[in-house]
Amino acid sequence: MTAYIIRRILYAIPISLGVSMVCFALVYIAPGDPLQTILPEDASAETIEMVKKAYGFDKPLPVQYFVWLGKVMTGDFGLSIATGRSVADEVLKALLNTMLLAGGAVIVAFTLAFALGATAGYFAGSLIDRIVTGIAVIGVSVPNYWLGIVLVIIFSVELNVLPATGMGARGSVEFNIFRWDDFKFVIMPIITLSMIPIGIIARTTRSAVAEVLNLDFVETLRAKGLRESAVFLHVVRNAMPQVLAVMGLQFGYLMGGSILVETIFTWPGTGFLLNKAILTRDLPVLQGTILILAMIFVATNLVVDLLQTAVDPRLKRG
Amino acid sequence: MLAIGALTAASSAGAESVLRVAMTAGDIPVTIGQPDQGFEGYRFVGYNLYDGLVLWDLSQGDAAADIKPGLATSWEIDATDSKRWIVDLRQGVKWHDGCDFTAEDVAWNFDRISNEDAPQFNVKQFAAIRNRTGIIDSVEVLDTHRVAFNTTQVDALFPYQLSYWFMISRCRLEELGNDYEAYAMAPSGTGPYMFDTLVPQERLELVKNPDYWDPERVPAHDRLVLLPMPEATTRAAALLSGQVDFIEAPSPDTIPRLESAGMQIVTAPYPHNWSYQLNFVDGNFAKKEVRQAANFAINREDVKALLGGYMLEGYTNIPPSTPYHGKPDIKYEYDPERAAELLEAAGCLPCEITLAISTSGSGQMQPLPMNELVKSQLDAVGFETNLEVMDWNALLDVARPGRENSPEIDGINISRALQDPFSALIRHVYSAQHGPKGSNWGHYTNAEVDALIDEIYAEFDPEVQLAKLTELHEMMVEDAVMLWIAHDVNPRALAPNVKGFVQAQSWFQDLTSIVVE
Amino acid sequence: MTDATLTAAAAETAPAQEVRGYWQTVANRLRYDYTTLFFGAMVVLIILSAVFAPLLAPMDPYQDSLLHRLKPIGTDPYLLGTDELGRDILSRLLYGGRISLAMGILPVLIATLVGGLLGIIAGFVGGRTNMVIMRTMDVFYAFPSILLAVAISGAMGGGIANGMISLTLIFIPALCRVAETATAQVRSLDYVEAARATGASAFSIIREHILGNVLGPILIYASSLVSVSILIASGLSFLGLGVTPPEPDWGLMLNTLRQSIYINPLVCALPGVAILITSICFNLVSDGLRTAMDIRM
Repeated sequence: MTAYIIRRILYAIPISLGVSMVCFALVYIAPGDPLQTILPEDASAETIEMVKKAYGFDKPLPVQYFVWLGKVMTGDFGLSIATGRSVADEVLKALLNTMLLAGGAVIVAFTLAFALGATAGYFAGSLIDRIVTGIAVIGVSVPNYWLGIVLVIIFSVELNVLPATGMGARGSVEFNIFRWDDFKFVIMPIITLSMIPIGIIARTTRSAVAEVLNLDFVETLRAKGLRESAVFLHVVRNAMPQVLAVMGLQFGYLMGGSILVETIFTWPGTGFLLNKAILTRDLPVLQGTILILAMIFVATNLVVDLLQTAVDPRLKRG
Repeated sequence: MLAIGALTAASSAGAESVLRVAMTAGDIPVTIGQPDQGFEGYRFVGYNLYDGLVLWDLSQGDAAADIKPGLATSWEIDATDSKRWIVDLRQGVKWHDGCDFTAEDVAWNFDRISNEDAPQFNVKQFAAIRNRTGIIDSVEVLDTHRVAFNTTQVDALFPYQLSYWFMISRCRLEELGNDYEAYAMAPSGTGPYMFDTLVPQERLELVKNPDYWDPERVPAHDRLVLLPMPEATTRAAALLSGQVDFIEAPSPDTIPRLESAGMQIVTAPYPHNWSYQLNFVDGNFAKKEVRQAANFAINREDVKALLGGYMLEGYTNIPPSTPYHGKPDIKYEYDPERAAELLEAAGCLPCEITLAISTSGSGQMQPLPMNELVKSQLDAVGFETNLEVMDWNALLDVARPGRENSPEIDGINISRALQDPFSALIRHVYSAQHGPKGSNWGHYTNAEVDALIDEIYAEFDPEVQLAKLTELHEMMVEDAVMLWIAHDVNPRALAPNVKGFVQAQSWFQDLTSIVVE
Repeated sequence: MTDATLTAAAAETAPAQEVRGYWQTVANRLRYDYTTLFFGAMVVLIILSAVFAPLLAPMDPYQDSLLHRLKPIGTDPYLLGTDELGRDILSRLLYGGRISLAMGILPVLIATLVGGLLGIIAGFVGGRTNMVIMRTMDVFYAFPSILLAVAISGAMGGGIANGMISLTLIFIPALCRVAETATAQVRSLDYVEAARATGASAFSIIREHILGNVLGPILIYASSLVSVSILIASGLSFLGLGVTPPEPDWGLMLNTLRQSIYINPLVCALPGVAILITSICFNLVSDGLRTAMDIRM
């Protein structure tokens, strides 16, 4: 098992290198000049050349890649072209804001979906099961940015009870989720973001519980005269590792996939940063954000994998 | 000085009045001198933290804004050398950090944007202001409060260019070891507001400068909070829910709702032209008849309806309130028959044209619906319009190199700021401005126009200059050098408790007079 | 969007060994699965309504009329109201289905062909080829799909073609994995080894023995991707990275109508309803297929 763990960790290295290459290449397949954001709309050719040289964009691509990679390894993601601020700082700050949403959404989703899914799995085939399955399908089918708009229409435009956008009057620096005035701002984004994980976790829980229910030991428990509620608890406990794994993956996924929801709610997270970097073609920010998000995804996968192996050594793969 | 400022702030902290503004920018404009985010950055960061040698008079709402003395008290052309400007500087002005403003600061600021070897040189700042200051050959310090600018060519419009150039504090930058990243978080200027805090992407907080050199413009509120909100609906929601007091550019569709909630909507025409620059060489717009036909084909009333009435019909390059608008002989009122006749006369039926447009962008108003409407109106009289939709940066990529790089495109839809005579008229039609050297994207060439522009550059008598500028504009209208659609009136929405704002006919605005009740 | 479960589900599906009888059983099972049949019929209806949009649409979806902009639902003659340029929403929804469905189905189709082929090659040939192909796939698999789609489209710029390319690219790795797993499992089975030993060509082995077994898992997986593709494509359009105007597309309509939520909130929500219904139908059909094809012998 130790050998597997080491192999699994080592394996993440070439993947990460590949990911860095993709991130770097991505922004160079783009048409247009990477420096246009800082150039006035009628900048002359002479001005453009001078700026290009100052940013090192006149060097050959492989050289640029290794220079970039070397710096990235030391945590230096360069400076944003648009703002001149450190990319690492901007991404880290945005990351915390995104984590707030992603974490909140996963917790909400897990609580709700686990209860629903476990009930459905236990009463497989019943009306409850059908209703839960229906909810789960809606969860994975709903365009969440649309749901965000609908929530804004209802709760901000019509009822005027929840704020439509941003992180509140004092911004992210003093944001305190445990204050009602600040908490109001996360309600709609978290609900919106939790739809997909609700669908997925409910499905997983349902099938995991149903599967465990069919295992022999359940009959043994019943034969031993355990009360049905105790049997249910046993079943749920056995289904838990699989569900937790899916939940972990969903967290990694939401960290990288919140761009639409953050755009709707003007939430100053990584998705919002990414969207802005695309609009302004801010290459260092674009590269840095995508790379960090992808690495988080790789890391979450790795951790989930290792934890699962630890819990259930039968799952050793590869 | 700093200590005193802190004391005053502390003593009034109990009843601090705060103005919170939602900008359309996606981020806080950079604070190191020349801002980014287009003229919005100039409006909210540039002219608030800093001053130029020349400033804009933004105190009137009923006439086009013009320039006025700023850190310079006066300027004049050297009687013996028409490429040398003598500028007197204001005495007794202090930077926010307490140092004195002197002529040396001006020379130092010039090196900052022109001399690659100077420690204070910054390539982004260089790029941002190059168009305006490229003409300056050297700056001479004559005494502590007097400088001379030597220019590479005769330019009677030079003072206008000075109004876009902000002076930053040498004291502060040197104190920070010429590190602009650090300076951005602790900038120091001479403007009516002083820097307080900056949270990247979220907010910039400025506090009033009680010792501003112009007592008329000491802010009437204590704190100004600037928030980037690129989405129009987001800004409207923020105003409605009381998160902000002042929003830029509410979309026309949100205005009725804002009004019914008691918000004040203010508008003013300003030098912002929503139009198409045309290709005068490659395609069908090379023919004057076709250009005129396109202008006659537009029903600007419909466009106005689309924008909920929040625009001024664009028949000419500049709004009629501009001093050099003049009285063009031809007015492009909606006349589909005449448009069709002109197309027939030009032998262009159906007349195929390709317009490059963007999905969004600085000053582009509502680019998609407006362009779709223009297309349907052009097609109704015999054009066959093909819209090439791209993002804002891709459109700039088409615009910068000039038509030679994209001969298949007949027009580009880029809103231009027309703040001064050069920006408003000259750069679009002067042959020395052919892309990629300047903004004459479509390579308009007209010897008569060129000669007139040369005269304007050499004309230092303001009245004669004005007459010549007027003549230039009339010529441009007659020759239909653009397809004109609209002049923006730039609606803004203010909470009911915001008083004392005068909307100037300008891209820039003065917020200092605002009282938050 | 549903990466995790889908892979899990696809992996659960064991390769069927008896190819002929298998499809027969699947068809039999489907015949009595009324839910799947109902939603299958819905899918067919949605596709037909898009194909025959020119016949069904009451108006020209491009025809604007500023007098009639942003009319509410039920304003005669606009059954579902009008958009910000006064264009008929119903007609635009019908036409919009063409692009939205194409963006949902075509990338999955191409990715199935390309990813499936790569996976079969990797699984069948094994060794170094397998390593090169699968490790490359792993790199792309290391991105959350929507992040990769946004990154690629953001880099290349908007437009239907670029949107399709980026969607196709994000689906290939997953489909390739499914095909590789299925192929590798079959490859080591006795009868395939036997066929190899008799010197049958690689091509005929793949055709005779492997394709039939790989097809099931791939189809299940691909069918579940259609709704994901529709959602991501509309998301791209919503961000301004997908379909460009004036083409009617559900995601893009949602984007432009959003500016008008203060005037006509209900109309603004309509394109999302179209996406939701279509996506639910595809998901349920895919679920039904999975259940029907999940046969362990």
